Amino acid sequence: MDLDHQTVVGLAKSWGLIYLLVLAVGVLAYTFWPKNKKRFDRAKESILDKDDKPWN
Amino acid sequence: MIAGLTKGERQLSLAVLTVLALCGLAFAAIGHDDPIGTHGFIILLVAIGLACVVIAGYYAPEPDKEQLSRYYDDPTRAGIVLAMAWAVFGLFFGVWVAALLAWPELTFDAAWSSFGRIRPVHTTGVIFGFGGNALIATSLHVLQRTTRARLPDQFSPWFVLIGYNLFCVLAVSGYFMGLTQSKEYAEAEWYADIWLVIVWVVYFLIYIRTLQRRKEPHIYVANWYYMAFILVVAILHIVNNLAVPVSFGHAKSYSLFSGVQDAMTQWWYGHNAVAFFLTAGFLGMMYYYLPKRAGRPIFSYRLSIISFWGIVFMYMWAGSHHLHYTALPQWVQTLGMTFSVILLVPSWASAGNALATLNGAWGKVRDDATLRFMMVAAVFYGLSTFEGSFMAIRAVNSLSHYTDWTIGHVHAGALGWVAMISFGSIYALVPWMWKRERMYSSKLIEVHFWLALAGTVVYVFSMWNSGIIQGLMWRTYNESGTLAYSFVDSLVAMHPYYIARTFGGLLFLLGALVGCYNIWMTIRQAGGRVVLQGPDVDEPALAPIALQAGE
Amino acid sequence: MPNFHRKLERSAIGFVVAIIVVSSIGGFVEIAPLFTIDETVEKAPDMRVYTPLELAGRNIYVREGCYACHSQMIRTLRDEVERYGPYSLAVESQYDHPMLWGSKRTGPDLARIGGKYSDAWQVAHLRNPRDVVPVSVMPAYRWLEDNTLRTEDLGLHLKAMSRVGVPYTQAMIDNATNDAYGQANPDSNFAAGVVERYGEATNIRAFDGEPGRVTEMDALVAYLQILGKLTNAATAANVAIKE
Ligand code: HEC
Ligand code: HEM
Repeated sequence: MDLDHQTVVGLAKSWGLIYLLVLAVGVLAYTFWPKNKKRFDRAKESILDKDDKPWN
Repeated sequence: MIAGLTKGERQLSLAVLTVLALCGLAFAAIGHDDPIGTHGFIILLVAIGLACVVIAGYYAPEPDKEQLSRYYDDPTRAGIVLAMAWAVFGLFFGVWVAALLAWPELTFDAAWSSFGRIRPVHTTGVIFGFGGNALIATSLHVLQRTTRARLPDQFSPWFVLIGYNLFCVLAVSGYFMGLTQSKEYAEAEWYADIWLVIVWVVYFLIYIRTLQRRKEPHIYVANWYYMAFILVVAILHIVNNLAVPVSFGHAKSYSLFSGVQDAMTQWWYGHNAVAFFLTAGFLGMMYYYLPKRAGRPIFSYRLSIISFWGIVFMYMWAGSHHLHYTALPQWVQTLGMTFSVILLVPSWASAGNALATLNGAWGKVRDDATLRFMMVAAVFYGLSTFEGSFMAIRAVNSLSHYTDWTIGHVHAGALGWVAMISFGSIYALVPWMWKRERMYSSKLIEVHFWLALAGTVVYVFSMWNSGIIQGLMWRTYNESGTLAYSFVDSLVAMHPYYIARTFGGLLFLLGALVGCYNIWMTIRQAGGRVVLQGPDVDEPALAPIALQAGE
Repeated sequence: MPNFHRKLERSAIGFVVAIIVVSSIGGFVEIAPLFTIDETVEKAPDMRVYTPLELAGRNIYVREGCYACHSQMIRTLRDEVERYGPYSLAVESQYDHPMLWGSKRTGPDLARIGGKYSDAWQVAHLRNPRDVVPVSVMPAYRWLEDNTLRTEDLGLHLKAMSRVGVPYTQAMIDNATNDAYGQANPDSNFAAGVVERYGEATNIRAFDGEPGRVTEMDALVAYLQILGKLTNAATAANVAIKE
């Protein structure tokens, strides 16, 4: 493959954009997936629990 | 300190220290006519000194099973003390550097104290010395509490903490001698850089090993930020510091990259050092200590996830906003500008999340200066990211770049955000760690808070003024179409602001000193160990006293 | 998707990989193309490398942190071009390992300071800036004239520079120490070699005003006097201001 400057810049720009969109969709899907709600709610509260020693 | 280590770990420590001492000796011998020889001696002395400590405690009884089943906090305690010590050191040099621009004769005619040499002493002292130690100390605490698991062993956290501080000492002592790569926030020379890589790998391994042994299924979001900090700083550090040393007996090296490529690499590093060292790590702190101190869960956990990936993804593109109108190709400049502006979204999401968490607890914020430190930090985080996105716009940058405006922006972030969130977290953490009911004096926290806030405001306003005046004077034309002011004219106009800035910095330094006194008195508090119970306390002081040998 | 992320998160390693991948791409996309191009770096056939003395001076510039107050990058803005000279081209810092573009102008830009002042002015200014410019806040660098320049290892420096891609010839590397001496001592036997290896345009003078001994002052002034003069590509290309 001939990697001249124009090709590299072009690749960088086009793939950069696709990558950005895919990533955004992925993160949003994960965050708002209904099944995850419980985990997040638990995580939120968990740090306020008493944490005097490691769990065994 | 030694009593907490097992026999095997004590032997391992001695082995590692022997290797370190030999490296020091080798540098001292090969580089006897070069500054690297001095560094060899420093390494040798540190290794011998630490070996003495290990040997002195070598026959102390080993920690028993009960002790090994608790959280391991000795390194966190040491890290807090080191962070405060570096804070005073770094801020002191900051005030000195500021004073030099008002009164240039304050170098006392010595080479080591001239502006160009002590400016990096200041930046490294505060960013890496203060900020880095605060990050290491808090990360080890947060990591254990949120995973409900003890650190994997006792040796590696000490290796990281002490090794990291050795790096800072090598860096700073090097600048005094004129050893620098001249790369902003990466001035330390090649051998110190290699050492930091080793330390960092161990740090990463502590994290990953603890996470794998976690009892809590979900990894709490604060750890995501700490992890991003550790990982990305490693990538940045390695790439940016690629260099060829003149020889193994020379401290000096030549960077692998040159010209534009080097400029882009340095600012890719520079801006992301801001993003992942000064932002991500401290956001980790915020996401744990702020809800914990306020006694309320974070406002939106989902928002914290979205802003996390937003920051991790987008910061990496923003570095080129430091190179507007330079010889860097224009498309790269535009890309950097665009991402810098979009970055405002995840940044404000984080700041807003923090403030919304406090909504409904304003009474606490009013009464508790510790929580107020954290709140003000979130506000300054919001302000300086807004300003940053604004300054990344090319037209604005044409005015602000090269001027004190940049410095004002940096310090709105560094003083208002980084330092304030650290002080707040440390004030929350100290009573937990030393098992005191509260800090020695809440009045003094109050005093520290107002000194810090006043110092920041004076600093930032004087630099805004001077920066904008400077920028405007440089580009003002008179009617005949020639430049109206000489460079020296602009220099004269800066003088009052440089004095004001020095004063603001002094207030901030005083605040830190008050903080040190308060922490010291808390640790030494009369009556020794106060037995504590209550929701605010991590560990009701059931722990046997022998465990605390590190103090 | 959520299951995927959950797994990712369960195994901490997967999470680590995700952070690395997500964060590296931005840098890669921006930086990688800069390495494939010749367009970012213009052609400048007349570009010459730093002499050993100038390189030593550059290292002193780095050592003293002059870059903390002085930029070496004139932007493509009208007022900058009028104040400091033709805007900087990428090619001009082609041999700068590392670059010293700087980010703060507490003092003026120095990208084209070469030849603006006499050697004597530079020496007096470095000795104590306030003797020359009374309101200056620049530090005094009195020790530069007292310190003898370390020249015996300059060959190693040139060698390291050639390893990172600067076209120093073997002759240049072998003669580095003598060339440094020769450049600061126009009457010595070594001066001719400097011209032979680095070209007619090289400044060969007793920069600190004292022939015989090569001081750090000699080196730094030699470096300052060459700034902006390694090539004249900029003057040629700077016909129109871009914006
Ligand atoms: C504290 C910041 C500071 C540092 C560090 C500094 N300078 Fe300066 N420099 C200035 C200021 C301010 C001026 C403008 C006033 C003057 O001419 O002295 C200046 C002016 C100059 C000039 C004259 C520029 C002109 O166009 O008139 C030169 C040359 C120079 N500096 C070289 C150096 C060198 C070489 C070093 C390092 C050894 C250095 N400077 C370090 C602040 C600094
Ligand atoms: C949205 C986030 C941010 C953006 C877009 C941003 C943008 C910028 C811009 C445009 C500059 C000026 C570059 C120049 O012209 O020289 C700058 C400089 C700087 N910023 Fe930020 N900033 C952000 C957040 C922060 C934060 C939170 C901190 C501190 C904790 C910080 C610390 C710095 C530092 C250290 C510099 C100094 C660079 C120098 O020495 O020239 N930034 N930033």
